[in-house]
Amino acid sequence: MNAPELPKAFERGEEELPNPLPRPEGEFEALKRAWKPPRGLRFLTAVNNTYVGVWYVGTAFLFFILAGILALIMRVQLARPENDLVGHGLYNQLFTMHGTVMMFLFAVPAVEAASVYLLPNMQAARDLPFPRLSAYAFWAYFVGGLVFFGTIFFGLSPDGGWFMYPPLTSTKYSPADNADWWLLGIGFIEISAIAGAIEIIVGVMKTRAVGMSLDKLPIYSWAMLVFAVMIVIGFPAIILGTLLLEMERAFDWPFFIAERGGDPLLWQHLFWFFGHPEVYIIFLPATGMVSMIVPTMAQTPLVGYRLIVLALIATGFLSFGLWVHHMFATGLPKMSLSFFSAASTAVAVPSGIQVFAWIATIASGRMRLTTPSLFVIGFLFIFTLGGLTGVMVAVAPFDWQAHDSYFVVAHLHYVLIGGMVFPLFAAFYYWVPAASKRALSERLGRWVFGLMFLGVNVTFLPMHITGLIGMPRRVYTYPVEMGWDALNLVSTIGAFMIAAGVAIFLYDLARNFRFTLEDNAGNVWNASTLEWLPNGTYNTRSIPSVVSRDPLWEQPNLSKDVEEGRYYLPGTVTGGREALVTSPFDARPQYILQVPGPGWQPVLAAVFTAAFFLLLTVKLVFPSVICGVLAVGCVIWWLWETDPGPVRPPADIGGGIVLPVYATGPMNHSWWAMIVLMVVAGMVFTCLIFSYLFLWLVNPGAWPPQGVRIPDWIWPSLSAFLYCASGALVAVASRQLRGDDRRSPRSVPVLIGVALPLVCGASAIDLWMQWETGLSPSAHAYGAAVYAITSLQIFFVLTTLVMGAYTIARWLAGRLDNVRRTTFDNTMLFWYYTAGQGLVALLVVHGFPRLTGGL
Amino acid sequence: MGGRRTGQILLMLAGLIAWAVQFTAIYGVTSTLCGRGWADANLLGLEVVPMTILSATLVTLAATAVALIWSFRNYRLAKHQPVAAVDDFVSHAAVLINGLSIVVILWHGIPAFILPACA
Repeated sequence: MNAPELPKAFERGEEELPNPLPRPEGEFEALKRAWKPPRGLRFLTAVNNTYVGVWYVGTAFLFFILAGILALIMRVQLARPENDLVGHGLYNQLFTMHGTVMMFLFAVPAVEAASVYLLPNMQAARDLPFPRLSAYAFWAYFVGGLVFFGTIFFGLSPDGGWFMYPPLTSTKYSPADNADWWLLGIGFIEISAIAGAIEIIVGVMKTRAVGMSLDKLPIYSWAMLVFAVMIVIGFPAIILGTLLLEMERAFDWPFFIAERGGDPLLWQHLFWFFGHPEVYIIFLPATGMVSMIVPTMAQTPLVGYRLIVLALIATGFLSFGLWVHHMFATGLPKMSLSFFSAASTAVAVPSGIQVFAWIATIASGRMRLTTPSLFVIGFLFIFTLGGLTGVMVAVAPFDWQAHDSYFVVAHLHYVLIGGMVFPLFAAFYYWVPAASKRALSERLGRWVFGLMFLGVNVTFLPMHITGLIGMPRRVYTYPVEMGWDALNLVSTIGAFMIAAGVAIFLYDLARNFRFTLEDNAGNVWNASTLEWLPNGTYNTRSIPSVVSRDPLWEQPNLSKDVEEGRYYLPGTVTGGREALVTSPFDARPQYILQVPGPGWQPVLAAVFTAAFFLLLTVKLVFPSVICGVLAVGCVIWWLWETDPGPVRPPADIGGGIVLPVYATGPMNHSWWAMIVLMVVAGMVFTCLIFSYLFLWLVNPGAWPPQGVRIPDWIWPSLSAFLYCASGALVAVASRQLRGDDRRSPRSVPVLIGVALPLVCGASAIDLWMQWETGLSPSAHAYGAAVYAITSLQIFFVLTTLVMGAYTIARWLAGRLDNVRRTTFDNTMLFWYYTAGQGLVALLVVHGFPRLTGGL
Repeated sequence: MGGRRTGQILLMLAGLIAWAVQFTAIYGVTSTLCGRGWADANLLGLEVVPMTILSATLVTLAATAVALIWSFRNYRLAKHQPVAAVDDFVSHAAVLINGLSIVVILWHGIPAFILPACA
């Protein structure tokens, strides 16, 4: 189905707005009723982006404070030489937890959390397209994060550094559970981050104000789109890395043990393929925030909108070519290092473009020196300094001198605090009036800024010198004669200045932040974008059409008309929660999405998911499995209520536009989500194939090792045939489900039922044949790599099995027919992916050793 | 998203995709040959590592140049006939991105002329 053409009147005068006044009696009440959050204990089940967004931001900020306290303890320990406040064991846990919590539990969740709140409001969408997924991501993060942090009180925290290099973190040198807390705890919080990223991609692409085409998209939305795509590409590497290291620790599969063909450098590649883009993953949303704040404070449109979009996209790409610059000291060939050095310097160009665009915007307007402005100026100063030292460490010979010294600690804090924390504080001061009865105090805000700005420079500027005169990072103390005492004392004083600034911010927050939606402080800055429209739990009363990037400046009366319900979809046409789905390029209305409301399912699913991983960490396998099964059960319960079908005929949303309340195929929002999920899965698989090839590279003449037999071709051929056959049967089932008349052919469950044993059989045959040859997963990295590929494939096949059975159950319950077929489409897409991945896996595992002939 | 829209997005990203291909090729080949001790491998009397870097750079550069010319043509057309603002935006962004990509690809090809293959 094509998107309906917008009437030309979409740029008409106010007397010709899509919906006339007066609005029908009861329309607004019905809208409010549909979006009302539950009360009492059930308030925890709320899924509105505004509530989940505020909880999410609050939790991320809690972790910022907790990790900051850990930093203060470390600074006190280092304030004077040979101090004995904490011992080396606890110090190792402190720096590991500080880095881990700041990066994984504060930085990424904070920017994701802010977008859960801001994106729908900025795009005048009623909510994100999958509000229950946001709630699931939040609760999983909240429960898992708090338990993970609690390990510090029991001496169980990971202590191998935030990048957890083996062999230090292998069983041999870290036999206790500490490393497992990192691997399982953080591994699963990354899954929560990916869930958020899928939500953001679909949200930016599919739920925007009418007419908000790509050229009118707020820069913040662009930044979040690039951010989310980077998560989808980058996070699978670390998910796979944690899986491999955990498999090595749990089952003795030697991916990183050199004596048995493994290589610790494989971990570094996987970690930093995620780890360096991670810096930009947290930086880009912050630049998006700055690009929203600067024009408002200067009261002039953003200069260089197209160049900033270019910069965001270019940064997204180039940041994936930098990872080896963290490995300059590992002995890789200089030619290889030079490629990464080139990318590391090249990525400074798009960052520079953004900085110049902000300066030009400031220069072209009249900048008001408010607290958000001060934090933006602080960001420009601190981040630029961090960027300059970044260019220095991008040059390999300099990096060899500064590697693992306090110079690097100084550099990374300048980049991360300047590039992310200062913009976040600017954002707090800027957007609080949209969510609170009162704005935060400007007077206190200046104190907060002053203390933090001075504190950061007092703490970290001396560290450049501390590092250059030889102090290595991660030492818990140092002797008097090294000459590092004065510089360390200054750094400690600076750290407490930052803490004082944050404490005043908390006081300001407690004094002035009063969460509200309908009664907020309003557009106190005279900003130009849609999050400043009058709003409520339903976001905006009606969904506006926009004709510029600064609609509140260029469309007079927009706020009033939106609030009166004169724009699109001013009520609810199904009686429930709805969002307007628009086309990705030019934001033409496509259909009305029935948005699921509050429910215990995402909360329980998140709690059980967290319990599954956390119990597994402490080797309580049986309770862990029970929690895993319960988590899957809750997800099925949650999904059962979705895919409602066309509950009513197409409805008029105003301006002569009549839209269906249900759509399938590429227009459907969950089709997009499934495609993104397949990209995530494809990246995990690609990283695994990279690992396989990497291990081949470091094992000349042993691929396969002596005495290992490769199964005959007949077996992988049979396996491949079964994958193809199962996919073909699903394709036939899809054809049976075509047509406009509501019918649900009996052949559909039968075809799926036959296809299921075929796909299961395909992977079972492959596993059995490998086992039959006597291949051991623990004897050599070859066997470990082969079984890792086979295991991943089995996981996908089992997921397909659950999805296939679920699809059959929906058919049996009368919830699946040729119109209401989104569930089937999702299963079909996943099925094709699983079969395709299985074929590639067979080709690699059976074809590659034959191709190289054991080289 | 229809085929025309997908084509516009691909054209907009063409230069950066070409850079990703160049980067993967040059790093993959260098790592493999150096890692396996095949640094002295020759093809038609030419050393494989620098030749790969050079050819990968030239091929991706040519592809990006084509994308740049094409996107510039679209941009010029958009200036002389009425098109939607979003089409004008995308064609302009395509020119900028492909232009920057030319520089980035050239920048990554330079090491082949300066450094020995596997030292």
